[in-house]
Amino acid sequence: MSRLTLDSLKSLAESLRRERLEGGAQQHRAGIMLCGGTGCIAGGGVRIRDAFNAELKNKGLANEINVVLTGCNGFCAQGPVLTIQPDDTFYEKVTVGDVPAIVEEHFINNNPVERLMYKDPVSKQPIPFARDIPFFNHQILRALRNKGLIDPEKIEDYIAMDGYQAAAKALFEMTPDEIIAEVKRSGLRGRGGAGFPTGLKWEEAARVKAGLKYILCNGDEGDPGAFMDRSVMEGDPHVVLEGMIIGARAIGSHKGYIYVRAEYPLAVNHLQVALDQANEYGLLGTDILGTGFNLDIEIYQGAGAFVCGESTALMTSIEGKRGMPRTRPPQSVEQGLFGKPSVLNNVETFANVPLIILNGADWFRSLGTEKSTGTKVFALSGAVNNIGLIEVPMGTPLRHIILDIGGGIPKRRKFKAVQLGGPSGGCIPEQLLDTPVTFEDIVKTGAIMGSGGMVVMDDLNCMVSVAKFFLEFTADESCGKCTPCRIGTTVLYDLLKEITEGRGKEGDIELIGDLSKDIIASSLCGLGQSAPNPVLTTIQYFRDEFDAHIRQKWCPTGVCKELCTFYITPETCTGCGACSRVCPKKAISGEKKKPHRIAQELCIQCRSCYLACRFNSIKIGPRSMRDELAAQGIPEETAGATAAGKE
Amino acid sequence: MIELTIDNQKVAVEPGTSILEAALRHGIYIPNLCYDSRLKPYGGCRLCLVEVQGQRKLIASCATPVKAEMVVLTNTPKIAKVRKTLLELLLLHHPLDCPVCDKAGECKLQDLVFLYGASESRFSAVRRQETGLIDSPLIARTMSRCILCGKCVKLCHDYQGARAVNFIGRGFKTKVSPAFEETLDCEFCGQCVDACPVGALGSAAYRSRSRTWYEEEHATICPYCGCGCTTHLFIREGRITRARGKLGTGINNGDLCAKGRFGFDFIYGETRLTTPLIKKDGKHTPASWEEALTYIAKNLDTITQEHGPSAVGALGSPRCTMEDNYMLQRFMRQVIGSDNIDSIARFGHATAHMAIQQILGVGFHPIIWDAPQKADLILVLESDITSMLPVWGLNFIKAKNLGATLIVADALDTKLAKNSSQWLQIRPGSGEYLIKGMMKILIDEREPLRRQAAELPNFDAFVDSIEKFTPSFVSSLTGLPEQEITDLARVYADSGRRLLAITLGPSENKKGLNTLRSAANLVLLMGDDPATLQIPAELCNTLGMWAMGIRPLADGKDAYDMLYKGRLEALYIMGENPFVTFKNSELVELNLRGLEMLVVQDINYTDTARLADVILPACSWGEKAGTFMNATGDVQEMQRILPQTGGSLPDWQIFRDLARVMNNELCGIELEKIREDVGRLVTEFRQSAANPPAFYPVRDRPREAPDEDYPLILVTSDLLQHSGTLSVESRNLGSASSDAYLRVNPADAEKYNVSDDDFVRLSSRRGEVYVKARISSEVMEGMVFSPVHFPHVRIHSITHVAMYGEAPLDAVRVDPLD
Repeated sequence: MSRLTLDSLKSLAESLRRERLEGGAQQHRAGIMLCGGTGCIAGGGVRIRDAFNAELKNKGLANEINVVLTGCNGFCAQGPVLTIQPDDTFYEKVTVGDVPAIVEEHFINNNPVERLMYKDPVSKQPIPFARDIPFFNHQILRALRNKGLIDPEKIEDYIAMDGYQAAAKALFEMTPDEIIAEVKRSGLRGRGGAGFPTGLKWEEAARVKAGLKYILCNGDEGDPGAFMDRSVMEGDPHVVLEGMIIGARAIGSHKGYIYVRAEYPLAVNHLQVALDQANEYGLLGTDILGTGFNLDIEIYQGAGAFVCGESTALMTSIEGKRGMPRTRPPQSVEQGLFGKPSVLNNVETFANVPLIILNGADWFRSLGTEKSTGTKVFALSGAVNNIGLIEVPMGTPLRHIILDIGGGIPKRRKFKAVQLGGPSGGCIPEQLLDTPVTFEDIVKTGAIMGSGGMVVMDDLNCMVSVAKFFLEFTADESCGKCTPCRIGTTVLYDLLKEITEGRGKEGDIELIGDLSKDIIASSLCGLGQSAPNPVLTTIQYFRDEFDAHIRQKWCPTGVCKELCTFYITPETCTGCGACSRVCPKKAISGEKKKPHRIAQELCIQCRSCYLACRFNSIKIGPRSMRDELAAQGIPEETAGATAAGKE
Repeated sequence: MIELTIDNQKVAVEPGTSILEAALRHGIYIPNLCYDSRLKPYGGCRLCLVEVQGQRKLIASCATPVKAEMVVLTNTPKIAKVRKTLLELLLLHHPLDCPVCDKAGECKLQDLVFLYGASESRFSAVRRQETGLIDSPLIARTMSRCILCGKCVKLCHDYQGARAVNFIGRGFKTKVSPAFEETLDCEFCGQCVDACPVGALGSAAYRSRSRTWYEEEHATICPYCGCGCTTHLFIREGRITRARGKLGTGINNGDLCAKGRFGFDFIYGETRLTTPLIKKDGKHTPASWEEALTYIAKNLDTITQEHGPSAVGALGSPRCTMEDNYMLQRFMRQVIGSDNIDSIARFGHATAHMAIQQILGVGFHPIIWDAPQKADLILVLESDITSMLPVWGLNFIKAKNLGATLIVADALDTKLAKNSSQWLQIRPGSGEYLIKGMMKILIDEREPLRRQAAELPNFDAFVDSIEKFTPSFVSSLTGLPEQEITDLARVYADSGRRLLAITLGPSENKKGLNTLRSAANLVLLMGDDPATLQIPAELCNTLGMWAMGIRPLADGKDAYDMLYKGRLEALYIMGENPFVTFKNSELVELNLRGLEMLVVQDINYTDTARLADVILPACSWGEKAGTFMNATGDVQEMQRILPQTGGSLPDWQIFRDLARVMNNELCGIELEKIREDVGRLVTEFRQSAANPPAFYPVRDRPREAPDEDYPLILVTSDLLQHSGTLSVESRNLGSASSDAYLRVNPADAEKYNVSDDDFVRLSSRRGEVYVKARISSEVMEGMVFSPVHFPHVRIHSITHVAMYGEAPLDAVRVDPLD
């Protein structure tokens, strides 16, 4: 690879583009774009790729059909997935065993494999083409534009997709001020959760007169349930580098770090390969494209602390010290990493930058709302049919995302809440499902947009437990520096634990609210300032659940085992025995076609019977019912009888 | 100045001041637990939150600089509520130890809870238990009480440069601990103890001994090194219970070292003298003051009549006050008529004085306390400043943190080396050659410099004297690569304000007069202000003693003559223990025994006192009023705080009494007049003249070289915890460091069959001693290191005195005991 100039970059892009259209250098007639994201790799993606290579070779098709291990495709719960180009066929849940069938049926017999296609969740009909699958066609891809289309370990694939053209334009045709003006006008706001206007941040850093400045990329992605940045770093690492080059040019920096959490080894790997290849091509390092502009980027790995996603803690971590946030002033744009002016942006933020430069601020603003422009990538998970990554314009209503793109709630359960923003965010109930996803609208609900984690919850989720889960997380991840977060989160967690274990007291809710206010008001960094959010929003919207836990010692969803009693309503029980068959403790007894009964002393409150019953005959009552039911004794007709029958 | 309003009060402060500091300076109290004026703001306790008009959130006043027209409120209902909660949280898991906690009565948490806290807690929690007694010498750690303010960690890391403790674990489970939760093993300076706002850290010696409300607090001056720190002694029923620094007081601003903080109990040593003793039939028998003084007077008369006054000599003490030393030399010069007066400083400060006044033309050359912070480049030559003058040494670390380049040239990996910008590990004693090498390079490469220097006297002879110190030659002597030597010279010459810092105490042997002369030559060559060369006077009153004329002023004998050439018949020793502290102690012993009369006036029954004919008990520090002059030339006064021990008297008074017995009018001198005279001498001293500046061609002097029989080099020095003869009497300091040990490099240990913690025989051409070995990679191969103070080992019986200004390194061998 020889170092590129502006002209050679353009002509290389041109020829690579042509090649792609013609099926690559070998002029393949088709391409198997196999998803190589972490999820699909865990599902056997590499073995599947090897199996394809072997099978195609066997069948003499290796010259005609190309196999590419791309980055994360986004439809993670259906993995391993693949798309076949150019016809856009989509196969899901592929196994090594399916490979011969795909090669034989799809490629040789021209007969797509129906059983591997995506099925509509309601009609159950197969949908062969990706463009017809709602999960895909409702999305508008900008940050994820190269998803499923390129090999992340090949810089040529990126260049063929107009890669580094934006960086070239920024370096050759624009001044730093012009770059900043364009990014400001685009309205791009930080995608990591804070939503700070990116152009403004760059403008403040550019204003500082200093020799050494740092451009930093936050790839820590600590929110549980968030994997958007992972997909970008794994699947399209060059877009991050290109965004950083433009940012570095804007602020006047020649040294950059990408802080990647160590739990993303594939991302670290692909980023390093990308860095090496970009350096070889002269797209990074000294004298980029012959402009005289230098930018050296290094990867720095995290060490397992959520708090190191906070900007000052991140910088302290790169300095080799214990990752604890620092007081401000001074702001990081004046004194950040190693005391030098620094700009830290999120992965997704950087991924949006090249398009803004290439297509302009107006184009960027054409999607989204006045205050929240562009698109946002969400990681949809939880009780929803289509689990994975989706990119939609800002302003899209939550309902559309969850019910249309997400495909609704599986197993005929009911939507209960959607959690946005991870441990810093909140739960949004059904009555607010029409809220458009923007910074300004979500915040009105009490939650925050966050980095994009969106966890859907159904009527089987206990909101008190959810609140407890997030507090357990933040209490564990608290760095320990400041009093309110270090001690306060633990106290809040202890309070919730008491409530879920049946020792909640009247006044606890008010206490939680009061303490939360003080923790928010006095914490040093965003972790503490937002840690009470989940519990505050769940109390706000699901107060009755909390009251039930405290006053009646009752968990209506049956999650808090100390607070529930599972019992069968004899009036509606048909005696089908479905419940007793699944009970792991053989606690349910009853004659065939006669009402069954759960023996409380054996029941471990696992909910298996509750999920198995088709007749709505298993109810979840408060703790007190256990003793009442036990005292009632066992009715004669069911004494000693089992489902096998005994007269 | 920036004007702002705090609680409706208009205040004005310099830009860069934090809101908290602005408030405290104007008497407005904002509660805080993690703030320390010596450290960068931490912002962890959150108690200092205030409301600033125009800001939605509460602002941490410790971390926010003031802005013009700012309006600050420190005590609104909103703030009060948050403070209450914060204190409630802090107390929630804090053990209810007040009845048994030493901090009670001076505990910041107690005070703040009393002022701002709730009387009940809304939560229930399990209080932390002390997980086993964590025993370390001097510092008692009860970590269950720790509120994680971080002050000890930051002090130890950023300020002291020792880095002995840090946070381990995360969140609620965070602890302050040494690495891997091992027992604390550090310098035991105790800075963390004074900083701890609660009872988590305390003085182990103080544990359960007293309550703060029983104690009287007295400020005085520390009696150890030349820093002259102000230390606050706490007295209960006439006994010192503990010593602390107090932020904002003294030249040390509240900083203290292990000796200052814990070493005060040397005055309670087991060998304290309580009555005069006269040797009768080979035994020291108690006598009255009249008897003892008469005995001395009679013998002095006889000796002066037989041999003349020049047969009588005296040793003054850098540990005694100026009044004491003044009266000693008055007695010698007026009553006896002898100019044979000197001290241990002959082997320390006198060397510095000779070099500086001879070459730089300055007669009075104290150190400048904040010289390091004013420098851009600091070169520390073979000196462990943070052991010799520990609190001054902190300024070097501060300077480095402020951005100065700190270069340490030393064989040992000292604390300053660990905190330096660059550590040049040179062979012990080769510092002199390194300086010469630098000068040769600069003369050869920098024409303007050469031309300017050539106008000074002796330039040509000086250039000749360093001719052979080419980079390659210096490289072979120091062990440094040539490039590093050249780079050093250039970096030194190209930097802005330079500082060349060297210590030369009597116990050191890596440097000699010629090292200091070379350093002075370098300063002269660069055309720098003479204050560029900073050589501190070693002990608490070395400079003061020098000012009082404790040195031969006419043609008297100096310490070398008196103790090594055996030219006296009578010797009066005040506050010195030459048998232990002077080099080549066999020779010293010989000459002491050869005296007709030896008088020892001291606080302890030292090993020297054992040889004396008469022993007079003197009051110690604390038991007498007086003044010290520290290494910065400041005169500081001390009051009498404690009653005298037994029948002891202040030294100055003893001489007046002796004058009375000898019928001399000196006996009529009043204390007022003594103070007047002292003042006059100080003024004269500060105006000391010197010769005009001139180069000095240092001739290369051979040193004791290692050979096959004695293949190792012995380096001696002070320790942080022990520096002379007082510290070994301190039980506190002894708990941290009580054994003399020989540090041996691992490769040498293997070569010479030495195991860690075993006794070895250490021999030189003069004798042998038995000492414990400790294997350490802090010493270079080919060298061993030992402190010199512990009497039971007496390292000085194998050392030697420099004859011609060379560094008196000793060639030794180490053998395991079979």
